[in-house]
Amino acid sequence: MSVKTTVSDTGPWVGQPLPRREDARLTAGAGTFTDDIRMPGMLHAAFLRSPHAHARIVKINAEKARALKGVHAVITGEDVERLTKPISTIIPFKMFLPNYCLAVDKARYVGEPVAAIAAVDRATAEDAAELIEVEYEPLPAVVDPWEAIEQPPSLVFDEIKSNVIWHDTFSYGEVDDAFARAAHVVSDRFSVQRYISTALETMGVIGKWDSSGLTLWSGDQRPGFATHALTTALQIPHSQIRLVSPDIGGGFGNKRKATYMVIVALLARAADRPVKYLEDRQENLLGLVHASNQVMDLEMALDADGKILGLKLRDVVDEGSNVINPTLHSMLKFTNMLNNYTIPAVRFEGYAVLTNKCHSGANRGIGKPFMCFVIERAVEMAAKKVGIGSLELRRRNFIPASAMPYESPMGNVYDSGDFLATLDTALKTANYDDLLKQQEEARRAGRYFGIGIATAVEPNSLNLSAYTLMTGRTDTSGVGEGALVRMEGDGSVRVSLGNTASGQGYETVVAQIVADELGIHPHRVTVAPGFDSAVNPWLHCSGSFANKFSGTDVGAIIEAARTIRGKILRIAAHLTGRKAEELTIREAAIWVHGANEPLLPLAKVAMTAYRDLLRLPEGEMPGLEARHFYVDPQSNLPAMSKDDKRLRFQLTFSNSAHIAVTEVNPDTGAVKIHRYVIAHDCGREINPMLVEGMVHGATTHGIGGALYEDLIYDKNGQMLAGSFMDYLKPTALDVPEFEVVALETPSPFTPLGAKGVGEGGSIPSLAAITNSVEDALKPLGVTLTELPLTPNKIWDAIQKARGEEKRA
Amino acid sequence: MSELKQHDVAFTVNGKAETLSVSPRTSLADALRDTLGLTGTHIGCEHGVCGACTVLLDGKPVRSCLLFAVQAEGAAITTIEGIGDAQSPHPLQRAFNECHGLHCGFCTPGMIVTLSAFLKEHPQPTSADVREAISGNLCMCTGYQNIVRSALRAAELIEGAKP
Repeated sequence: MSVKTTVSDTGPWVGQPLPRREDARLTAGAGTFTDDIRMPGMLHAAFLRSPHAHARIVKINAEKARALKGVHAVITGEDVERLTKPISTIIPFKMFLPNYCLAVDKARYVGEPVAAIAAVDRATAEDAAELIEVEYEPLPAVVDPWEAIEQPPSLVFDEIKSNVIWHDTFSYGEVDDAFARAAHVVSDRFSVQRYISTALETMGVIGKWDSSGLTLWSGDQRPGFATHALTTALQIPHSQIRLVSPDIGGGFGNKRKATYMVIVALLARAADRPVKYLEDRQENLLGLVHASNQVMDLEMALDADGKILGLKLRDVVDEGSNVINPTLHSMLKFTNMLNNYTIPAVRFEGYAVLTNKCHSGANRGIGKPFMCFVIERAVEMAAKKVGIGSLELRRRNFIPASAMPYESPMGNVYDSGDFLATLDTALKTANYDDLLKQQEEARRAGRYFGIGIATAVEPNSLNLSAYTLMTGRTDTSGVGEGALVRMEGDGSVRVSLGNTASGQGYETVVAQIVADELGIHPHRVTVAPGFDSAVNPWLHCSGSFANKFSGTDVGAIIEAARTIRGKILRIAAHLTGRKAEELTIREAAIWVHGANEPLLPLAKVAMTAYRDLLRLPEGEMPGLEARHFYVDPQSNLPAMSKDDKRLRFQLTFSNSAHIAVTEVNPDTGAVKIHRYVIAHDCGREINPMLVEGMVHGATTHGIGGALYEDLIYDKNGQMLAGSFMDYLKPTALDVPEFEVVALETPSPFTPLGAKGVGEGGSIPSLAAITNSVEDALKPLGVTLTELPLTPNKIWDAIQKARGEEKRA
Repeated sequence: MSELKQHDVAFTVNGKAETLSVSPRTSLADALRDTLGLTGTHIGCEHGVCGACTVLLDGKPVRSCLLFAVQAEGAAITTIEGIGDAQSPHPLQRAFNECHGLHCGFCTPGMIVTLSAFLKEHPQPTSADVREAISGNLCMCTGYQNIVRSALRAAELIEGAKP
């Protein structure tokens, strides 16, 4: 199938590159982001944050701050312990760890909030923060995750007598047999640094109490979980918490912060005024959330022909002070460790380790960029060992299109995809043979010119039953979403969702989907921007995560729309004396199948539903409103026997092949990207223009992770990248012009055949860039296993290789 | 410290004369957003790197987070609200929509303000020129490619509209 690039003026609307509805307000600067909301009497909050990585809090004296003119409320850990319960973890562990919104007994990372102030303006609140005297007793900081396991200098949480919050081994297939039969074994240690998407809008919250309870405005991308955490912490009924998400200036998994919400709620209650808090960029880099740094030891067994027989993996995730949802990286990495290969036997030993760093959490693709980095680096190493090209090794191991749907040893079911076709499309687009000639010429001229290839799956949606396997808890399972579709009396439609957009363009793509279902123009469909827990349909798993929109959310939208459609046809049949099965809806009218003229306008039926109540079919409820809560039918419960831990962790699988063409400057170690080719397949594309935009953005995120971004801590746990001067994001000059080609293999598992997009580019890009840089340095024989590939690191590797050359 | 002496400052914003009473430490960005309610100017880093807060000061792009409001005395300031709106969009605003030059929209006002000044001086830019022009504006969503396309498309629209 080919992807559409022009818009027609009739349906079907799904598949058309419709320009976005939300752009009119956003390009005019007329969006409403959290910081744009003002209300009468609103105060502004500032936090005092810990300068220590690990310190006992001996005493806090906030008297001077409280006395400062303009200050309305000050809270410290003592107040928090008295007024709240610990914030519930998203994934409750059996062990109890007190997770309060402010440091209570000790501070556990640089940047942890220790006190909070509400004042007439932010500057006054910051003045007050400077007046708070905290007596700290510094403790040894736990920084290195291996050290945290083996010889911990101290305990991050004394309660659990260890810094290992989770350790388990999962084994599938005959692993020992695979290694016994192996002709070749490849082994190495790989690592990835902490990095993060840094949405350009930092995280903010506004809180206000009134007789109906607490209302919060916050760009929270997973409102379902946030409200649950609040009710636990504040001990008020769930029904008295209302959460409103306005426009969100980028999410990428990072935009969720129950701790900020609890702090703001406490300040607003103490001051009896609305209170706003917004992170500054330093606070955002120090304390919102980090993607964890991870280390993995891999052993890959292959037969003499280069067929992969099995994997042994030992993995450590540095969770920082994360007790909200540890194991997230471990699980999402491990269960997808096949990438797109048929690997019959896998053993994974995982550690999730607490350290004195910012808590780790969700970030675009969670764990899978590193999964792909490890596997695609290992594939390159294996190809050398086997003595065949790495393209050939990939071809021999890809899950063939004919094997779909394919069940992995871990229990994931790959729905669709032709990985060979994706790779070949990328190679053809890149003119691969020509690239090889260019490389030959460049090398002859003494230039370091590299071609790097990586292929990847992009898993979609997340079956929350997975946590049963990780934590043993059995109170969360499956995955779903809510949608509300209401056709008004004039035939126009309003839709609201449990999910919130943070740039994905739901106001446009949801209108396209609903327009097709209800036979109207997308301009007649208004999708409510943002989220309001008092209005929108939502579940605890509602929100934007795990690429779940294209399958799970679309299911909810389509089911709600089809309920309305059925009702419209029944009412139309009743009004015209026809049978509902004879009728259809298109162009905003009711038609008899095959007729040349419409039977009656859609608006006539809609108006009847709202005002001509006695002419409705007997037993038919008035109105045209449907609220649907959808459970993704691909999610299942885990097999909980000791020997069988298979589960469908993720539910459908997009895929891609990336080719990065780079050149290394041997004098500086800097990497220049000459070309970047992407072939990708996310099934049926709902809006190809938006899909391609997400591919560009996600790949750029991966380029940042591969080359620039590093949330680096020193040996004392001090954060060294607290500004955009130190934490380097790719600019327009660092990113190449992407050459993107789309394949469309529809998923048999989702209502529209669509699969996830948005995380995809971030997954293979680390590996593609690294494979390319290593290839560029091939004349020097450099091996790259650690990210990011900063000029320093590459320069060092070059010097080391040259030194060895000289010695030899 | 909170009782800093207020200062009067007078400038024009989007063609309208304004006199504000501000604290000496109030940034121009905060004055525009909080005092004048012009919330289209976004704050992304407050240390002059991300470009989200870009406004025109006497026609030149500046970081409103790095200027104190009092420094703008007598200046003519243009914010995104003065560039165009949904009813009468600037060619850049049209082009960003046509070419999908934005996702979340948070960097967009700064991008458009920066590019509006750039296109005046470079009416027929190459994509390399555009990349250079926006290299001081960070976008976390788009990977910049469609922003570059939007700028080139806007240049076409502006050229086409000339008599």
